[in-house]
Amino acid sequence: MKAPWHFMTGGDWLVVLLLLTSSLGGIISIAAMSEGSRVLITCGDELCFTAPLDQPRTLAIDGPLGQTKLVIDERGARIVESPCPRKICVSMGVAKHTGDLLACVPNRILVHIDGSSGKEVSYDLLSR
Amino acid sequence: MTCSAVDAQALSRSRRQVFLGLFIAIAVSLHAFESLLPTPVPWLRLGLANIMTLVALYLYDGRAAWSVSLARVGIGALLLGRIFGPGFWLALVGTLFATSAMIIVYRFAGRRLSPIGISAIGAGGHALGQILAARLLVVQHAAIWQVLPFFMLFTLFAGVLTGWLAALLLEELREHPAFTKSERGAY
Repeated sequence: MKAPWHFMTGGDWLVVLLLLTSSLGGIISIAAMSEGSRVLITCGDELCFTAPLDQPRTLAIDGPLGQTKLVIDERGARIVESPCPRKICVSMGVAKHTGDLLACVPNRILVHIDGSSGKEVSYDLLSR
Repeated sequence: MTCSAVDAQALSRSRRQVFLGLFIAIAVSLHAFESLLPTPVPWLRLGLANIMTLVALYLYDGRAAWSVSLARVGIGALLLGRIFGPGFWLALVGTLFATSAMIIVYRFAGRRLSPIGISAIGAGGHALGQILAARLLVVQHAAIWQVLPFFMLFTLFAGVLTGWLAALLLEELREHPAFTKSERGAY
């Protein structure tokens, strides 16, 4: 059996290459578009802190159990230390895309990534 | 044989009808077979039936390709009980886009593109048509366009695969007496 490239002409390669680069470009631009720009931290029931995602910093947030440490760096926002018993929030890893969430339920802390200009993409219609 | 007594044009016309009927039958069975295969995501299929559309386009012309692709969508949906459902409209619009794209590009590019290139273009048109139909009919939200590049990437792979299979089949068929140049011309 002859391989596909046996049949492919120069035009074929051009078509395949064009379609490949345009779809890969689309995927990359979508990934870049969904990168959030703001970190919103909710302690208990109210918003207690907002920080831009592009400035590295370390935050200590007080909750009913003690201090939860949040690090924001070029990789995104992540919880590095928390007094909660099961450390689920620490193992949730890095949040950087719009809509990503880190939650430390026992310490009542919620970290949420937001887009800048309210351009947040809603997935509600797709998941319905 | 008594072939010489038959009008050559009428003979080649009925030969074409017989072969197109056969191509449609093969396309419908490929489509039905494919719907039995498990897929990671629903609606993600290779589009093997497109092999027969490509063969009709290369052996005959654009009209033959339209007959095969439209008949395949209609009969295939009827057979699988999906006719006039939401999936049917997506498939129909996808096929309309794919077939028009393939015929138009084939007319301009001719032999500079092999069935693989034409099939890749058809696959891209199919993805575009399906997302457009989905945007208008199913998901009335612009976020659906974000699916397009991922869909395009998969569909490119599927298009090259079906184009390759069509090229292999065409190579076999062109050697068959029914499709050789001397036989296709006047007797």
